[in-house]
Amino acid sequence: MSLPDRIDGPLAHWVMKQRWFAAKAREVASVNVLERATLSVDPPLELQLVEARFQAGTHELYQLLPGEGEAALRVLARLLGDEAQVEGVSFHGGLEPTGDVRPMGAEQSNSSIVFGEQQVLKLFRRVEPGINPELEMLRFLSARGFGAAAKLTGWYEISGEIMQATLGIMQEFVPEARDGWQLALDDPLGVLARLPELGAATGELHSVLASDPADTAFAAEEPSMEALSLLTATIDEQIEQVFLDLRPGTPGIEPILGRGEEVRDRLQSMSHVGVGGRLIRHHGDYHLGQTMLRDEGWTILDFEGEPARSLLDRRRKRSPLRDVAGMLRSFAYAASASELLRGVPAPAGWEQQAREGFLETYLETVDQSLLPAGRPATDKLLAIFELEKAVYELSYELNNRPDWVPIPVAGIARLLQEEVPT
Amino acid sequence: MQPAGQWFESDPLWFKTAIFYEIHLRGFYDGTGDGHGDFRGLTEKLDYLQWLGVDVIWLLPMYRSPMRDGGYDIADFYGVHDDYGTMDDVRSFIEAAHERGIRVIADLVMNHTSNDCEWFQDARSSPDNPKRDWYVWSDDPTRYGDARIIFVDTETSNWNWDDKAGAYYWHRFFHHQPDLNYENPEVQEAMLDVLRFWLDAGLDGFRLDAVPYLYEREGTNCENLDETHEFLKRVRTTVDDEYPDRVLLAEANQWPADVVEYFGDGDECHMAFHFPVMPRMFMALRREEAAPILEILAQTPHIPKNCQWGLFLRNHDELTLEMVTDEERDYMYAEYAKDPRMKLNVGIRRRLAPLMDGGRDEIELLHAMLFSLPGSPVLYYGDEIAMGDNVYLGDRDGVRTPMQWTGDRNGGFSRADFAQLYAPPLMDPVYGYQAVNVEAQLRTPSSLLRWLRRFIALRKEHPVFGLGSFEALTPPNPKIFACIRTYEDDVVLCVHNLARSAQAVELDLSWYSGRRPVEMFGRSRFPKIGELPYLLTLAPRGFFWFRLEEDDEPS
Repeated sequence: MSLPDRIDGPLAHWVMKQRWFAAKAREVASVNVLERATLSVDPPLELQLVEARFQAGTHELYQLLPGEGEAALRVLARLLGDEAQVEGVSFHGGLEPTGDVRPMGAEQSNSSIVFGEQQVLKLFRRVEPGINPELEMLRFLSARGFGAAAKLTGWYEISGEIMQATLGIMQEFVPEARDGWQLALDDPLGVLARLPELGAATGELHSVLASDPADTAFAAEEPSMEALSLLTATIDEQIEQVFLDLRPGTPGIEPILGRGEEVRDRLQSMSHVGVGGRLIRHHGDYHLGQTMLRDEGWTILDFEGEPARSLLDRRRKRSPLRDVAGMLRSFAYAASASELLRGVPAPAGWEQQAREGFLETYLETVDQSLLPAGRPATDKLLAIFELEKAVYELSYELNNRPDWVPIPVAGIARLLQEEVPT
Repeated sequence: MQPAGQWFESDPLWFKTAIFYEIHLRGFYDGTGDGHGDFRGLTEKLDYLQWLGVDVIWLLPMYRSPMRDGGYDIADFYGVHDDYGTMDDVRSFIEAAHERGIRVIADLVMNHTSNDCEWFQDARSSPDNPKRDWYVWSDDPTRYGDARIIFVDTETSNWNWDDKAGAYYWHRFFHHQPDLNYENPEVQEAMLDVLRFWLDAGLDGFRLDAVPYLYEREGTNCENLDETHEFLKRVRTTVDDEYPDRVLLAEANQWPADVVEYFGDGDECHMAFHFPVMPRMFMALRREEAAPILEILAQTPHIPKNCQWGLFLRNHDELTLEMVTDEERDYMYAEYAKDPRMKLNVGIRRRLAPLMDGGRDEIELLHAMLFSLPGSPVLYYGDEIAMGDNVYLGDRDGVRTPMQWTGDRNGGFSRADFAQLYAPPLMDPVYGYQAVNVEAQLRTPSSLLRWLRRFIALRKEHPVFGLGSFEALTPPNPKIFACIRTYEDDVVLCVHNLARSAQAVELDLSWYSGRRPVEMFGRSRFPKIGELPYLLTLAPRGFFWFRLEEDDEPS
């Protein structure tokens, strides 16, 4: 599972059983290497762009790094240090990492290597043309001295036959610290006390991201007059789709089964007034698992956005409240997971207190011009994003973690009970 | 990184699975508040187009022009019309579109210029001027007498006398649009430089206007001449060599056998419009029979694998009836142009929705048939919300009224005073902006706009519609248009009922015996296909699209 890739057996079988492989195996028609670059002969290390082709004729591309042993990983460190150019792959960095090399344990949609406990190289598995948002975001934040994100120290990209794309980024390694999600389960009250700080860090993050009108990729924008309608139309279709896929008898869905129309009506009623505020680049996949708590404060990780969305979609500017909603939903997850995973119910009122603690400092800290005018409008837009998130979670859990389905179901059911903010 | 290409996978055949969207820039959105649509306004609406699922924006001509023919009379190929903005506006628009995964092509008129063009002003000034030979001059207005007159409503000859030049000049369109002389190598070079200029600015290709008329030769009808094809091949080679992954889309309003010449052997234009199939879809609907579509498809030759048809229901011109028989034309006029004001040249100047009397089922059915045919669909702005037309405006302006964004003043098109608008927005009770607008339809889940967005998304999930083989079925019920599309492992069956009444149809699908039809919108599973004819019942003007899936389960 860890880098470099050791491909045993047929390529297609190997690729399809990797955790980072996003598509459904039954739809794959073939897997082929489309492009390869020899990064090193001895020790052997190759870079491959591999195509998973689907029955309908569409495809996805993935990055593979087949090679042998730890020595091959050191090659990467050297290439980054040398700012090397190898067969269309160019490396940027300038400071060769030293010390021990180890692949990082938990793999999700990407793979990471830690160099000398100082720097971490994240290799994007699913590759799409264009600048990866994580590279853009870290470069922007590092240049402006934003303290709550680990500094960018290098990256590498390909300019090949098929596309130009960012393949990986390197940043300062945040030494072993527990992420916010683990902490919320292990020490819910301890975390609660630190959430106002997280709210402030989030507010500062958004203010910094909105701070440069000269950089067109980041400059804050006024929403167009149909922005809210486009947003709600999109969410409305996601709701319709998810409810279309709900099968009676699926455990955990009873509280919302057959209530798709109700949810859609709810969305309509929330979107009846114009909502202002400005649109900015934002984190895009913000939840407790993307944060680390150290004595010095919170660190925010993983700026690439939701892996299930396309790169172009992840680069879009939206209201920063979308991040806030992601974090609020994460509190709901933590509260439920405590019981689900640990068998211990979360402390009474924990989720509500977490929401309030986080939100209060966030709203105080963030550049006010990014928010809609007045608290009711802010609450309304937040509720729309929370609904969007809960619907996304429901579809994710149905496909990946059936045991967790009750969490988004409870979130949606609760939204249906609450009064529409006016 | 190469800025133009960085957001796209390289793919020389990208246009084969693309959804095109034609925009009349002046009428789309006014970003500067002067009453005319412009590039800034269009840039603001890119989120909407991305949401809709548009892959390519096709812009009508935006060059400097006296606007006596909607900009098809170009006075300066190297600048944009002041109403539309600056070259910087164009570049930022193209960049913003690319960042959203949307490509941009623009109309380019190679055949002629405006008589305001400096080239023509030089040419007419003296027989010794170096530009004289850039146009086609004659002392004798009877030359090339076999060439037809295209704008029969306004022009009486293809020659026009110019006092200053002391000679007649040749024009296939309006008399203020002198034809360029492609016999002259300087003209060829000048036009290639124009292409380079705009491709450098980021354009992803061109819709080549009026290409059949580039050359003239005595004793011919001066259309589709070999010399024209040779020059277009030269254009293609230049583009392929210097600008990969671009597209040339030919406008050649001709019969299929003549149009396919514009593909060459895959070395001329990438795409060409299929003009004749369009009126036959309207005819099929009125007659409630598939025959007109099937006949024209049968007459359509195969095209090279790296080429594609451009398919459309309506566009910025009149619904052209040049490529139908006299009898068919009479039929079309009788059915679709009951008011004589609706006729223009050889065609009908109306939009899709009024042609369908506003019938939602009919509009959906036409889109379904359009999307099922082999080619890339080209949508016309405003048709996605069923906008109407204004037959009281002159020429083709009636189908080029302001886009209706909201129910507010000027339909949300412009903040200018009403009197400043380039044309009045529609205000009638049926199609006016208070009844028909983007905002209202975005908020209504059952609206045409929302339906079309889902339909576009569905088509894009299946490259089969752009890349797959096409087989028309001939069921015993003549009111049914059904076809099978196949690409790699994807097999799709499309069945459309042209009748105003419910219909049953038995399809011979024995070739696909053992597969299970799964309806593509709602994903409902239908009974498996066996050896017997497959029975389907369809609602009036209804249609079904199925994936024919391999299925091991018993039915």
